[in-house]
Amino acid sequence: MRLKTFAALALTPLFFASCIQDEEPNTECDIEAVALHLTSPSSCFFHDYDTLQTVIPADSIIVFTIRSYADVGLVPLSLRTTPGATVYLLKEDGSEELFQNGSLVDFSNEEIRWFRTVSEDKKWSRSYRIQVRHDKPSEGNLSFDFEDYRLDATGKYYEWPATEVFTDAMWKNGNPGFKISKSSAQPMEYPSTPVVGGGPDGSNCVKLETCDTGPFGKMVNMRLASGSMFNGIFDVSNAIKDALKATLMGSPFTHKPEQLRIWLRYEPGSFFQDRSAMPVEGIVDEPDVYVVLYRNEDPLGNKVQIDGGDVMTNPFIVGKGRLPHHLNADGSDQLSGNPIHGLTSEWQEIIIPVVYTEEVDETILKDKGYNLLISIASSWQGGYFQGAVGSKLFIDKLRLFCD
Amino acid sequence: MKRIIYLFATFFFLTLSIDARQDNSSSAGVTGGQDSWQKWGPTAGLKAGGVIVRAGYVIGGTTPLPLPAEIRKINEFSPRGGISLGIDGYRMISKRWGISLGAHFFWEGFHTSADVKNYYVWLETEGEITKGYFTGTNVTNTEMWGVTLPLLATFRVSPRWNISVGPYMSCYFKQTFTGEVYDNKDGIGYLREDSPVGNKILMSRENPTPYPDDFADHMLPLNVGIEIGGDWKALPHMNVFGKLDWGLTNIWSPSFEAISFRMYPIYATIGVAYRY
Repeated sequence: MRLKTFAALALTPLFFASCIQDEEPNTECDIEAVALHLTSPSSCFFHDYDTLQTVIPADSIIVFTIRSYADVGLVPLSLRTTPGATVYLLKEDGSEELFQNGSLVDFSNEEIRWFRTVSEDKKWSRSYRIQVRHDKPSEGNLSFDFEDYRLDATGKYYEWPATEVFTDAMWKNGNPGFKISKSSAQPMEYPSTPVVGGGPDGSNCVKLETCDTGPFGKMVNMRLASGSMFNGIFDVSNAIKDALKATLMGSPFTHKPEQLRIWLRYEPGSFFQDRSAMPVEGIVDEPDVYVVLYRNEDPLGNKVQIDGGDVMTNPFIVGKGRLPHHLNADGSDQLSGNPIHGLTSEWQEIIIPVVYTEEVDETILKDKGYNLLISIASSWQGGYFQGAVGSKLFIDKLRLFCD
Repeated sequence: MKRIIYLFATFFFLTLSIDARQDNSSSAGVTGGQDSWQKWGPTAGLKAGGVIVRAGYVIGGTTPLPLPAEIRKINEFSPRGGISLGIDGYRMISKRWGISLGAHFFWEGFHTSADVKNYYVWLETEGEITKGYFTGTNVTNTEMWGVTLPLLATFRVSPRWNISVGPYMSCYFKQTFTGEVYDNKDGIGYLREDSPVGNKILMSRENPTPYPDDFADHMLPLNVGIEIGGDWKALPHMNVFGKLDWGLTNIWSPSFEAISFRMYPIYATIGVAYRY
């Protein structure tokens, strides 16, 4: 063994050192973060941290929301790009000029500004749009009938528009992650799909189904994908590295939710499997529906972002409501053979009250200091890749009633 | 590469000069006038043949050549297996020239960890295709069991030194090729799906992404290359030898697209041989 190691040590550097070629220029050209430099951000923005946005790699539309009465006008803008990329600002006459960090850009009147990034090797480019929008006060109560849906930009899966209150005015779900593992899937084979005329009154509804993620899912030990719907951001770049962190849940909300009503019907899949796809005897899969209100800024002014990992336990949660489940003494989920959610394969309206553990500060609430999160899943342990393939949760007519 | 050739050349000439001095001293009379060519030669007569049984330690790797620019750094390299047992039959056709035909059974392979940047991968698993450009750490392990059949021209540089060169063919009985990708020491590990501006999929060592199981199924069962070797007759019946098998044909089947470059097996053997 010593001889082996010695021989390897002696030969390796000799062989490889002279063989490593010069590094080629970078090919990526993402904008990774965008910052607006304002002298008094709080006069325009709801949070100081709102002036800096981290851009997830899949995004190319960056929207800043300012107070309804504010105007930023000409403001210094900084972009952080992947190494070596250059940025051009597209001018109104169609020409483009090299963008330098810190240059003044006019964002008045909700004007959309277009940027083009070019990679260091000049072979790749991306287009981005940046806009500063005024906040539109919401009325409070929310209502979703899931009548409208469309194929996403890649034409692979469906997506559902939502209220402006939700981030990107869209419902988010794990469909983009499923696309990575099962590239051959047709749009109707994804975990979240529309059902035409499938609702309780014959209107459209949504089917969330726990699906097998196929050979690639098996390779990375993520063998199933729960059908899901939530508001916030799905950062598909984290789907394999840290799936719970991929669901960045919640959007700023200025009302105090009291009750969520939703029409549901549920058919659990035939057997519950653990992460390595071994059947777990005596356990029945359960769906999940919950609504959470949480403080979105810590005492130091940092952003608080709840994700799939701490959605029930984050200390900044002030109120929540959830479909009934068996829980352990410490509040964690308890798998069981006789669920208490009360859902059947027949449609019924479920009422979930929001229970508050902390007082909601009215002033902070009006100033967008809380995030609302609504999340629905066909397998309640889907975030941990446990559940029953084939579990189906049909959802329709979601109503959120506020104080 | 120049450095390696230089190293080999220096070693070769150094031993050759020692050898020459020894030959001069022996022909000076101690052996009673026996020709040292005869003494160190084949067992009977200068034009006779013989058999050499070899046992050696194999070290090397299967590598793209030259290393593509996508490979930025070799973090680890260690041999796997590394045994060669063989037999050569040879016949001299003149005082210096001969030919040799052999069969060398081997078990060879390596483990390596390399940092790569923008490394194109194309994975198909049961009809599901994942492709794109990976940046991060790529770990590869391969092992091969088989037999190499070299057909060599041998040349006696001096009474005790033989060098040989010629083509060889390797047949593999079994091959394995496994590996995984994850983030590098700086925490960078991701695939850009389809193109450098496509979806970015982060990878981590906590949940590494392995190569599909079937990589080895796409390895060709035959490889052809050039062998060069040197034998030094340490004792009347014992040689110390070194040889290098330089594969000239790609190890991958032409239809295999998962790895975007051709890879060649390059393995060296050092060992001892018994000369009958």
